[in-house]
Amino acid sequence: MRREPEERINESAINAWQLSAHLFAIIPLLVTIAAFILAYYVDFIPYWIGMILTVVTLLEWGVTAFFIPKLRWRRWRYQIYDQEIYIQHGILIVTRTVVPMIRVQHVDTQQGPILKKYGLSTLEISTAATTHEIPALLEEDAADLRDQISELARVEQDDV
Amino acid sequence: MMYEPKRLHPAGMIFNLFQGIRQSIVGLLPIAIVTVGNGEWLYVLLGAAILLVLFIVFSVLAWYRYTYQLEEDQIRIEQGIFIRKKRTISKHRIQSIDLSQNIIHRIFGLTKVQIETAGSDQRIDAALSAVTMEEGQLLHQQLKYNKQSEPVNEESEQQEAAVSKQYPQRKVSVKQLLIAGSTSASFGIILGLFGLVFSDLESLIPDRFYNQVTDWVVSQAMQVLIAFGILTFLILWCFGILQTLIQYWNFTITRYEKELFITRGLLEKKQSTIPLKRIQAVGIKESVIRQPLGFAIMYVEIASGEIGQNQEMHTLIFPLIRKKQVAAFLEELLPEYSYQPDNMTKLPKKALPYYLFRAAIFPLLATITVAVLFFEYAWIPLIITVAACLLGYLQFRSTAYKIKGEQLMVKKRNTSKDTILIQHKKLQSFQRKQHILHRKQKLATMDTAILNKFLGRHFILRELREQDLDLLADWYSYQKE
Repeated sequence: MRREPEERINESAINAWQLSAHLFAIIPLLVTIAAFILAYYVDFIPYWIGMILTVVTLLEWGVTAFFIPKLRWRRWRYQIYDQEIYIQHGILIVTRTVVPMIRVQHVDTQQGPILKKYGLSTLEISTAATTHEIPALLEEDAADLRDQISELARVEQDDV
Repeated sequence: MMYEPKRLHPAGMIFNLFQGIRQSIVGLLPIAIVTVGNGEWLYVLLGAAILLVLFIVFSVLAWYRYTYQLEEDQIRIEQGIFIRKKRTISKHRIQSIDLSQNIIHRIFGLTKVQIETAGSDQRIDAALSAVTMEEGQLLHQQLKYNKQSEPVNEESEQQEAAVSKQYPQRKVSVKQLLIAGSTSASFGIILGLFGLVFSDLESLIPDRFYNQVTDWVVSQAMQVLIAFGILTFLILWCFGILQTLIQYWNFTITRYEKELFITRGLLEKKQSTIPLKRIQAVGIKESVIRQPLGFAIMYVEIASGEIGQNQEMHTLIFPLIRKKQVAAFLEELLPEYSYQPDNMTKLPKKALPYYLFRAAIFPLLATITVAVLFFEYAWIPLIITVAACLLGYLQFRSTAYKIKGEQLMVKKRNTSKDTILIQHKKLQSFQRKQHILHRKQKLATMDTAILNKFLGRHFILRELREQDLDLLADWYSYQKE
């Protein structure tokens, strides 16, 4: 836990996260447009609410799309030892996690449409009590890791 | 052995009926009360009668369609009125078989059989709500994969006497139960229930009478009202004691080779088996009332759920014990765990501000808000803030840990002080968390989890020294470098 893990996740993760942030920013954008329409046609609400919403939308979009993904990617590191998995993530609160191989119950890979576009998938590691993920690995890396972990985790578990 | 499908004892219908009524009463009672309040007695009675008939029909059908069948190395259960469910439980998967009896069971000489399997899948556990005692014992004998001579009920007392010579056993004394009851916080819960019932009853009491009573109460002197309050409190307190006595009467815990065996209960005789393999952690909890008196309860965290209503988060293994005797108790009954609370690693001084801040931030904000709006009432949230600060300080004082061989001992406090003993191999994962301030101060937060019931239970020690946490991580790591 003194040193950070060595492996980085794939750099296209940044693009994938940016894309999902762009898509997500559509929601406040629609709300803002609705506010302006209401103000213009119905006189239902004053204009300054629309102004504030515009600022908030731009801020949210800027931060989530251009600022956070890079930071997040820089922080995200992992390392697979033969006895345990070592993960580091978190922008404000840096979290380092150790998951022993013999505690791993099952490993999943997940892929949504955005990750698919970049040929990435997310690896999900579950113990009996907790779930951990390594996001945005190259598909074949994720599949290899999944097989590797399930191979290493194939130990008789009698107590949990 | 006969392998034919059997039905439960007809008394099972009564249990089905009770269960149906109990499940629906919560939804129906308010409706009934409102209608009665509007003077529509007839409709309520009619509705109740129709519902009762329906319930009875369904109970009988459910009983008729429920069969179980003991086979060579499995038990097969078929149930469902319209939708048939079949379930087969293999003998090898069965972890424990518990027989419990409530009053109705005792009248008919019956028992409830609960079959628990390994793993945390509740759908493959089973409960036979009513079979005869001998049938229950037979099932117990047949399905127990690792056959042991176990006391099953009072009839086998000689056997029990023979057993208790070989196996360590602890029994709770009446005095201990009285202390447990009088220091339990359950009267608070009863108070809450009382309030709930009263708020429903209020609409039933005729207005004139209610007004007269309230006028009379209001016109009384302060002393009388205080006396009333004390009396109510005492009555509720006695209820709490009574509840504890009924629940934990004759609480006996026995340690066999591979399991703990608990029997308890006055009206409802319960027995439960805890396979040692499934114990994830042992805890010693001291509530605020009990800590100054030097008493604690002991519990274990188990990796699976029990069937039934008591969804307590952990399983009691002794209802009251002097803190001085905890070490001896464990040595005798659970030698796998050791309790030595001396020289635990405590938190550094620089962690205290975080604890005070976390505890007091919301009351403090409330105080400021109230002080701005109604200055004369600001003392009320101020008192709460001071109390919260005190609690924060106590939490800081209580938080500590100790590593001894393969065992981690964690001490922490929410309001009750809780000491948990966990074996290394039961810890599912280990996390270290730091934000910028932490990093500057060389502090870090530890978060580790065990399995209990179906979810994890996390043990979070906030603001440890960074170097202490690194030592903990080295101890935890499987990657010995």
